Amino acid sequence: MEISGRKVAVVGMGGVFPTCANLDEFSEKLFSNKSLIREWDKAVEQEKKIRSKVSGFVTEAEMNIEPVYSTLLENYPEVYIDLLNRIPDSNLSTADIGSIWAMLASLDAVKMSGWSHQETQSEVTGVVIGSGGGGHEILRHAWHNFFELDKKSRSIGSHTVDRAMVYRDAANVSCLIKNRGVCESIGSACATGLGNIGYAYRLIKFGLQDRVVAGGVEGTSLETFVGFDAMQVLSRGFSPEESSRPFDKDRNGFVCSFGAGIVCLEEYEMAKARGANILAVIDSYYNNSDGDGDMFYPSFNGQQRLWKGLLGNSEIKPDVVKAHGTSTPAGDAIELLSIVDCLGTKDYHICAPKSQFGHMLGAAGAVEFITAILMLQKQKVLPCLNANNLNQEQENFQKTDKWQGPTSPLADFRDILPQQSFEKEINSITCLNYGFGGTNSAILISKDNL
Amino acid sequence: MERQEIIDGLVEILKTIRTIDQEKLKSITEETDFIADLGTPSTELINIAAKAEQKFDVEFDDDDIDDLGSKVKDIVDLIIRTKKKG
Repeated sequence: MEISGRKVAVVGMGGVFPTCANLDEFSEKLFSNKSLIREWDKAVEQEKKIRSKVSGFVTEAEMNIEPVYSTLLENYPEVYIDLLNRIPDSNLSTADIGSIWAMLASLDAVKMSGWSHQETQSEVTGVVIGSGGGGHEILRHAWHNFFELDKKSRSIGSHTVDRAMVYRDAANVSCLIKNRGVCESIGSACATGLGNIGYAYRLIKFGLQDRVVAGGVEGTSLETFVGFDAMQVLSRGFSPEESSRPFDKDRNGFVCSFGAGIVCLEEYEMAKARGANILAVIDSYYNNSDGDGDMFYPSFNGQQRLWKGLLGNSEIKPDVVKAHGTSTPAGDAIELLSIVDCLGTKDYHICAPKSQFGHMLGAAGAVEFITAILMLQKQKVLPCLNANNLNQEQENFQKTDKWQGPTSPLADFRDILPQQSFEKEINSITCLNYGFGGTNSAILISKDNL
Repeated sequence: MERQEIIDGLVEILKTIRTIDQEKLKSITEETDFIADLGTPSTELINIAAKAEQKFDVEFDDDDIDDLGSKVKDIVDLIIRTKKKG
């Protein structure tokens, strides 16, 4: 149960972002309306085997990480070296590339939080970090060598479990920062990043922890990319920077991307008492399921209930809605219509950060949460890049008898879908993320001292 | 194969294991304990055994690996014994 009067502050953030050396460069590029999406050489090498060739990817070299390949197995990255000595070798020995990013992002976030060693290593400091995929780079080569090349189990070494287990990112971060509170991982597909932050918020709000390092990670993985490519849901046919186009009439799929986003949450009064720089306050978190038995198709009703659960009877209207906005044909239309059904068509704006860096899957909700914090700081709305032409006709589902949402075509909402970043007074932002399985998550954040 | 030759080969393997303090490899002897003296994480011992199999072209029995001690001389003995078995 929530403890009345107990609030949650965001006091630190860090991440791993495509084409960016750090958070400052990420912020500068986003508010300059730039795209972080590139043609991906690893996808191009596969030629006709892969439909889509663009991604917001991050290479090991870009993060100053170098793989050491096993002498026993073909192509198996036995361990990684941190060329900048940010992470001790003992921690690197148990980490896949995603876990390394989680550790790097956590180091930055904890540093920004200003927590002392004692606070970080306290029994009331938790780690809640999740990922969408599962250590593919480690498992693919390990299993190939065992099953196809007939190598003994001991040849794959003793780290396939810790480098590929479901909560490897949380476990590696916990072993690095040595917290003594909870260490868990929430998995909810593309809502994972926000789901972990929401769960962390509840741990503090419910009085179970005072501080939590939370977020989502998606390590660069061709295997993950191939899985979505096989579903025919990835964008194709556009230049890299135009490939992710949420809400645009010609959108034809999402851009499969990778990265990490980690934030430090702290009980508000404690943060205030120690003079912390409070980046934002979390006002509410809500998540639910569609309940219609469909693994993939978005649910207008599920999203209506999500909004109701998030805002309740508060009459709060956010200044900005950070949409999930994947650039898929069905997802964007349903989402936009559910937002206007709840908030109307005036006095707020919708931004879609995936238009700039693609869909980071398990990291998406956390990295996009960071973009919301940046919007609060900069007092600027991020764009829906490439939303150039909105459908002037009704969507097909709007023409059916069972449709109970707005009947206006998407083009009627042009005014709330900015194509460029712009300045605006922003006091509160809602972040939305959804995932396979019909899971929906929403969070409401605001500036401190409102 | 001489015992010192095997130890030199083991040192080459240990140099590839980044969790081992490389400075301590300079004074390694048959009595050196992988865990107590070199600070090798116990999870790395199987990696050392597997790489020793490759380097010295032997295949250890599972029982021998289960019974393997954590001193340098233990694995030297096992390599020699396994080689003799042919």
